[in-house]
Amino acid sequence: MSDRDLHDHIIRALADAPYRTASESLADLVHEGGRVDRFATFLARHFYYERLHHLFKYARALARITDRRPEEVVRSSAFDALLPNLVLGSRDSAVQVGRLASAHVRSGRHLDDIPYLDDLLLYEEARMMVESGPRGHPSDDDVDVGPAVAQEGTTIIELAHDIVPLLPKLLTDWVEPPTAEREPIKLLIARTRAGRVTTVRATSSMERLLELADGSHAVDVLARDIGATGSTVEQALTGLKEIGAIRFSTGS
Amino acid sequence: MSQIMVGGFYNPHLGAELVGAAGTFDHLAMADPPSSTDPYWPVIKERYTLLLHDYLGQLSEPLAPEAVKRARDLAALYDTPWVAEHFQCLHTQDGSYNLNYVFPPLYTQEFLDRFTANALALAEKLDQPLVMENIPGFFHVEVDQMPESEWLTRFFDTTGSGFLLDLPHIWIEAHYQDRSPEEFLEAFPLEHVVEIHVAGVEEDADLGGPWISPAPPPEEMFAFAEHALGLCPETRAITFDAFSPTLKAEVMFGTIDRIRRLVA
Repeated sequence: MSDRDLHDHIIRALADAPYRTASESLADLVHEGGRVDRFATFLARHFYYERLHHLFKYARALARITDRRPEEVVRSSAFDALLPNLVLGSRDSAVQVGRLASAHVRSGRHLDDIPYLDDLLLYEEARMMVESGPRGHPSDDDVDVGPAVAQEGTTIIELAHDIVPLLPKLLTDWVEPPTAEREPIKLLIARTRAGRVTTVRATSSMERLLELADGSHAVDVLARDIGATGSTVEQALTGLKEIGAIRFSTGS
Repeated sequence: MSQIMVGGFYNPHLGAELVGAAGTFDHLAMADPPSSTDPYWPVIKERYTLLLHDYLGQLSEPLAPEAVKRARDLAALYDTPWVAEHFQCLHTQDGSYNLNYVFPPLYTQEFLDRFTANALALAEKLDQPLVMENIPGFFHVEVDQMPESEWLTRFFDTTGSGFLLDLPHIWIEAHYQDRSPEEFLEAFPLEHVVEIHVAGVEEDADLGGPWISPAPPPEEMFAFAEHALGLCPETRAITFDAFSPTLKAEVMFGTIDRIRRLVA
């Protein structure tokens, strides 16, 4: 094993709690075993503090009335209970930590003044889930031909309120919390291999294209299914690829 | 000594205060690219010397062409006098695991060869000198083949890069190795130091001891900085290393004022 491979083993041990617990060689590498666990806990708190600070910024903007900042949850006993199973950056861990943050916000004050709070939290949890997972190399997105394949993590959420116009208002210097129209919407959230998360309003044809994007349907088949022209489907697929919702399969 | 620049990091939430403080700060280090919606950025860019201190990539691997282009673009945008990176290796080769926090390499010949080759390759593609910052370890890995200070000495001797000496990192490592910071520092290749970082430290409950914090540096850290300045004759800048949305203006300005008294 090269030193670089050995270092990967240490990085994984710090990031992946079950791997760390199961590792028999770690004790030979680091004699101060307690310090590895301490540093891993420190890293986990830092990692999710940063994620929540960034990905739950709208719920945090509401903290002036809820008195609950989502990122505070990393200092809770509920977060401590997750530590033995956390894998930094994994989808499962992102989902669990996101739910904790939402629960923390829901324990706050004046929730009746924020009728769209559940939708907002669902949106932020979804973005946190989509943002997680291993990064790839940006050039992995460069293939422009082949059948479309939906990217793991791409998600569509249904909300009872149209929160899209609300989001920028939440980040302004408001006194009364901004309002949102009660109107059902669907949002598509996707992430590029480089890590850029994008949200767009989901149309029914987008939704259908993603359902069919399993690498086995050619453009003409997709066009017949959604009742559109081939060039319209190609244009839609290019848009979905740019936001990371799909990739084009090379067949390998 | 009077030629040393004194500055801090550009914290966009303190943009309004920093716009009006060009006499207080000689430079600002840029940890993130400016936001397109930052109303203060145009004035900040015009008024300050800006130091590129972003995450460009880990030099245990060669930087990808897109990363080099990004580094060059940011260096040009800031008109930075030097480009900083860290002695860090924080994600696995396949990208599956990422600590998202500075973490040092192993101090072995293999890692030294990797960092040396990749730093030389990066430096060749930059129009400004490369400076590299030391990163603290919280535990010792038994496969290390040499002390960090020797590894760094060999790196700087071979590459000719500048040394960005992060003093709190030295101070913390000395603490966890139960050594005197002054004695620990003296083994490092201080003749290569171009820039010095000072920062606050606070007790961290998880670590059971001190770690970096966006707090005012304690007097002990300023005394350590004064000691270090006497050992680093080529120092061109001292930077208050605090980049956090929780950093308060009074902490930033008070620390800069205190550093100025050190170099006066």
